[in-house]
Amino acid sequence: MDAIKRKWVPYFFLSPYVLFYLVFGLIPILFSLYVSFTSWDGIRSKTFVGLDNYRFLFNPDSYFFKSVGNTLLFVVITLPLQLLFGLLIASLLYSRWVKWKSFFQLINFLPYIVTPVAVGLIFNLLFDWQAGFVNKLLLHFGLIQEGIYWLGTPGYARMVIVVMLFWKGFGYTMIFYLAGLANIPKDLLEAAQVDGATGWRVLRSITLPLLKPVTVFLVITGIIGGFQLLEEPMLLLGGAGMGSSVAIIGGPDRCCLTTVWNMYDTAFGSTTRYGLGAAIAYGLCVVIAVFSLIGTRFYKGEQE
Amino acid sequence: MSHTLRTATATTVVAVLSVFALLPFYIMVVMGTYQNEDLFKGIVLLPSTYLLENLKTVAASRFDLVYMNSLIVSAASTVLSVFVSAFAGFAFAKHEFKYKNKIFTAVLLTMMIPGQLGLVAYVIEMRFIGLTGTLLPLILPWVANAFGIYWMTQYIRSAVPTEVLESARIDGCSDIAVFFRIVMAFIYPAITTLSLLVFLWSWNNYLLPLIVINKPELFTIPLGITSLGTAYRTDLAAQILGLTIGTLPVLILFALGSKSFIRGLTAGSVKG
Repeated sequence: MDAIKRKWVPYFFLSPYVLFYLVFGLIPILFSLYVSFTSWDGIRSKTFVGLDNYRFLFNPDSYFFKSVGNTLLFVVITLPLQLLFGLLIASLLYSRWVKWKSFFQLINFLPYIVTPVAVGLIFNLLFDWQAGFVNKLLLHFGLIQEGIYWLGTPGYARMVIVVMLFWKGFGYTMIFYLAGLANIPKDLLEAAQVDGATGWRVLRSITLPLLKPVTVFLVITGIIGGFQLLEEPMLLLGGAGMGSSVAIIGGPDRCCLTTVWNMYDTAFGSTTRYGLGAAIAYGLCVVIAVFSLIGTRFYKGEQE
Repeated sequence: MSHTLRTATATTVVAVLSVFALLPFYIMVVMGTYQNEDLFKGIVLLPSTYLLENLKTVAASRFDLVYMNSLIVSAASTVLSVFVSAFAGFAFAKHEFKYKNKIFTAVLLTMMIPGQLGLVAYVIEMRFIGLTGTLLPLILPWVANAFGIYWMTQYIRSAVPTEVLESARIDGCSDIAVFFRIVMAFIYPAITTLSLLVFLWSWNNYLLPLIVINKPELFTIPLGITSLGTAYRTDLAAQILGLTIGTLPVLILFALGSKSFIRGLTAGSVKG
């Protein structure tokens, strides 16, 4: 009797998760797949259109590949910067050379805590053409003759987004590297120093290899998180701030349109094309899967 | 390099990066104390005297209601997510059952799926069940949290001694009592870390309320702030003050919990 009862215990503890995942996770995902094969505005009845929505993703008018390219560009530039500076500041904070450790730790983590909506708005104000802090500072020191149109020029707008994402993210990687450094046995580092290894040598031969799991974790979550980018560029360029900002979807020439922004705008913004929106989401999923696969291959190849 | 020189160099690098991290945030706080028109006159560096007036503007916009909504949503998401994750983590870490490893791998795979994949249908589902007039659509997606389960499984596996669980069961403790009396006592650092993260993520969530919530009475802070932007288009200073106040709860939580947050991370998943 007791043995039979005990058999059910793990299923009991697992059941809330399974229930919630099925109802609010899996069912929407499967239903979205079905919706992606239809043409639907959410009000009138659905018409089955087969692969039409997916075929339309290859049409430049859908901006699908443009938005994937934009998102990829942001991830490829910001992620290495975040990792590098996160590691730098973590190892400095972990060394015995810096005081007020937890104070600096909190300050550098602060940008990650701030609401993405706020981040977008703050940078919208900082880089405003007329009243922005950055232009005023540059003018004040005579570095430029007239204000730079940061958010209205594709190249500059992308630069602002990179700066913004870097600002937001390096504290997050720092926290994880700090945790990783704390897991490296102290006697290992001391032994290396006794053997006369220099700081650079210790970093290359001991610290970096032992931090590899952290780096892999940060790269994978960074790619997944990076592809979900939406709020910051949307608030930066969406014209929610002052009058002089550009209220165009995706910024000038849609140079900063991210994939999720594209999906949102297609299904719930300028148009209510639910079918196409769902197809964009599935297209994004395929892209992420491809990149994860390449990433794992690369990782495995390096290990051999 | 001498000791002093090293200390000076390291401190300078950290200080420069810290200034870079703090500056936009500092400007945000300071801008909230200015009268809107003065915001655009010069370089805003020192606080002004208009804080109380801006506070009044913010208060007049039913900000308290928006604030309360955010608190309810984030608190409920956090509690539910942590409990459900700890439950499942306990099952994976300390029990044997059929297809255990396969199910665990499946849970991990769901972590790789972007949350937006089912979004279109989720909105339709919420309309269909009739929940769009409540705050529930903002809470439900956080409950089944694959990241939380991974976290809890790793932690319970390494931090909860199996012998203690066995002896409690021999003493006649039921499995539920074992979970609440013993497992919970061992895993509170993991609970702190996970709670802080889930609270932060749901507090800052913008896309979901933007799509699902259609009544101003149900707005959460990120949505409330942006709609404040259209209602008081000219009063940017008040809007920024609203943002600053909106950041306070998570700031306080992380300032108080940062030590145990790091401890939880250190002992948790990043062991690899």
